[in-house]
Amino acid sequence: MISRVAENAFWLTRYLDRVESMARLLYVNTNFVLDVQLEDTPRWHPLVVVAGEEKRFMGSVPKKAKDDGETVQRFLTWEPSNPSSIAASLGAARENARTIRETISLEMWETLNGLWLWFNSKEAERRYQQERFEFYREVRNQCVLFQGFALDTMLQSEAYNFMRLGSSLERAGQTARILDVKYHAMGPTGNHIEMPSEVAQWQAILRSCAAIEPYFKVAHGELSGREVAEFLLFDRHFPRSVRRSLDRAWNFLQLIRPRGKTPIGKSSAEALRGLRAELNALTMEEIMAHGLHDKLTWFVDSVIEVCDAVQLDYFQSPLQIKRPRSAQRTKRAEAL
Amino acid sequence: MARAGTALSGRDKEPLFADYKSLVGTYDEYFQDQGVPHPWTKIVVRHLEALGREEFRGRFRLAHANFLEGGITFSVYSDAKGGERVFPFDPIPRVIDHSEWAYIDQGLKQRVEALNLFLGDIYSSQKILKDKVIPSRIVLGSPDYRREMVGIRPRNGNYIYVAGIDLVRDRLGTYRVLEDNLRVPSGVSYVLENRIVMKKVFPRLFERLRVSPVEDYPNRLRQAVTSSMPGQKANMVVLTPGVFNSAYFEHSFLARRMGCDLVEGRDLIVDRNRVYSRTTRGLEPVDAIYRRIDDDFLDPTVFRKDSQLGVPGLIQAYAKGNVILANGIGNGVADDKAVYPFVPDIIRYYLGEDPILEQVPTFICDRKADLSHTIENIGSLVVKAVNEAGGYGMLVGPKATQRERKEFAKKVVAHPRNYIAQPLVELSACPTWTPRGPAPRRVDLRPFVLRGNDTWVLSGGLTRVALVRGSYVVNSSQGGGSKDTWVLERNSR
Repeated sequence: MISRVAENAFWLTRYLDRVESMARLLYVNTNFVLDVQLEDTPRWHPLVVVAGEEKRFMGSVPKKAKDDGETVQRFLTWEPSNPSSIAASLGAARENARTIRETISLEMWETLNGLWLWFNSKEAERRYQQERFEFYREVRNQCVLFQGFALDTMLQSEAYNFMRLGSSLERAGQTARILDVKYHAMGPTGNHIEMPSEVAQWQAILRSCAAIEPYFKVAHGELSGREVAEFLLFDRHFPRSVRRSLDRAWNFLQLIRPRGKTPIGKSSAEALRGLRAELNALTMEEIMAHGLHDKLTWFVDSVIEVCDAVQLDYFQSPLQIKRPRSAQRTKRAEAL
Repeated sequence: MARAGTALSGRDKEPLFADYKSLVGTYDEYFQDQGVPHPWTKIVVRHLEALGREEFRGRFRLAHANFLEGGITFSVYSDAKGGERVFPFDPIPRVIDHSEWAYIDQGLKQRVEALNLFLGDIYSSQKILKDKVIPSRIVLGSPDYRREMVGIRPRNGNYIYVAGIDLVRDRLGTYRVLEDNLRVPSGVSYVLENRIVMKKVFPRLFERLRVSPVEDYPNRLRQAVTSSMPGQKANMVVLTPGVFNSAYFEHSFLARRMGCDLVEGRDLIVDRNRVYSRTTRGLEPVDAIYRRIDDDFLDPTVFRKDSQLGVPGLIQAYAKGNVILANGIGNGVADDKAVYPFVPDIIRYYLGEDPILEQVPTFICDRKADLSHTIENIGSLVVKAVNEAGGYGMLVGPKATQRERKEFAKKVVAHPRNYIAQPLVELSACPTWTPRGPAPRRVDLRPFVLRGNDTWVLSGGLTRVALVRGSYVVNSSQGGGSKDTWVLERNSR
């Protein structure tokens, strides 16, 4: 497929995943604030930090508003100059979709365009003011609807594979970032029994990853930072765990990579293979000994490196002439 | 629903066209006389009346929502925010009888055939110039005449794969060609989308009437463009200037419906006079390009050096016959407004036939006598710059102020070659939905003609409507909207 179109497909779902993650995070945090009345714990500022927007945020709001819920929510939801805001990510997702409108299905386009129109309407502003939960829930629901339509209505060929590759890598990074909220809110996680506030924080993190019920099914009622981290990093069956997301990314990358002896796709495959191997070799003991925060930082950076390799391999297409179609078809037939 | 007490309730029960008054001195597309429909609109009027006003209003809203949700928008160049707008859609269809359509169909085929022969001639032996049927300076002096193309014969001699010929009707209802669009005519996606929305909004009407279908267009376009490669799996792409172009929706739409890749200039590369697309698996040969980029921007090595949209080396590949370009290069000279007055002579010259379709009498300001006539009568004429489109660069004399006329006249005198003048055509009017019910609004018609191994005309075409009361300007960029155009088949009554 056309490299530029593949790139748009890859980014479309990454942006949309950011929209969904951010909506979920804000939605859960609103609840968390209601649940736990602990004055000395910053609840809002960490969200800005894990979004990677602390500098921009501090530069644009008065210092005393640093942990003000309304200020943070407005910044992360509406602020157009903040590239991590829902408004910015949604606008970018929609622009990518518009650019490759011929590649995605009608249902996907209508869902995303509908969400974008709604988000920019007075009705959405009203909902945000009056029913904050409902507002974020609606954003999340429409994102999920888009994914459902993608699964059900789009040709499952290369463009689809790039979309899933993009969302899988993005998801792995997002889960790691959300896990890191705890560090920015309450400092390093040890192996000790935790304070009630910490327990509440871990619950919020699980909720932000839509993981609370899956977690309890696996953990049999235990709740500790170490267990939560282990679950969100390594669980083999939870769809948003880092490992599971990388497995999925790997599968789609395999579908994308041309068969036969070709250098195309080599560096991205090596980057992702390497990252998975390193991650799988890690034990929780090592992670806790080393510091969870540092490992998460390393991981988020590594995912970015994989994305860069995908970029080089497929979007800045090598100038090599493709074999004629007939020859290719024979090759594929042999492979089958 | 009981809505007694509201001001509208009484009127909502009235027949839809109860208050409708045709414009004086203007052909009405629905009514031959006050309240008396044409024989072919009778059945449509009856069905629309049966719906009633309130129901109709509801369906109008439904149609609008459909367009917005579908993202069927166009971008406006002059809009600083680069905004997208929905192309306003009017739900009252324009209706054309089959017998009338048969004659338009023939007339369009004849005209486009002659114009294609004209292009083949002026880019080779230039017989028509030697025979002095049209002055050389008009043709060779046209800014759209591409010297670089002389001696290059496109595949099958085909320059015009797609033409959009704008028709208007005068006060007697006679169809007249207003202008030819032989470069990158746009608007066909609205024809197809309008029909889809109309079917959602008025399903019962389509059950009762036999409206000629339009869905086949993308398929026909693909066939036409690849007609010189029969039996081969041609790799055809649609080339767009990009997402910021006002017609991007249409480019995307056509690529989707033809199952083609939609590419930008930077997605293509020319190597040893062959065109390739950059794909995730390397370079893939491209056989045919349906391009929606103007000549000027196609190839920075030949035309505008500053073009970021084009493909270096594309023209050379085309000249070698290695790639099909649709439309061909240099077509602009044949739709130059200064060449337009000669089209009837062009038809007679190449085909030995009289033109089937009339056109609008035109004064060529490049001629001394025509120029002085134009300046003296500027108040009653429409004066047009020959190289502008979209309703820009135009003076509608009868609607202009004394001062506007004076200033425009100055420009005409300074560059007479750049202007033509025509009497104001009282464009026909069609009932159009307004908040107060249907009212007459002026319309034109852009049928689409495809030339491959044979010539095919899309049934109907794009009806554009001047939504502003009293306006003659139907362009989407200047307050125009569109309507579905129904060609009724023979057994529709």
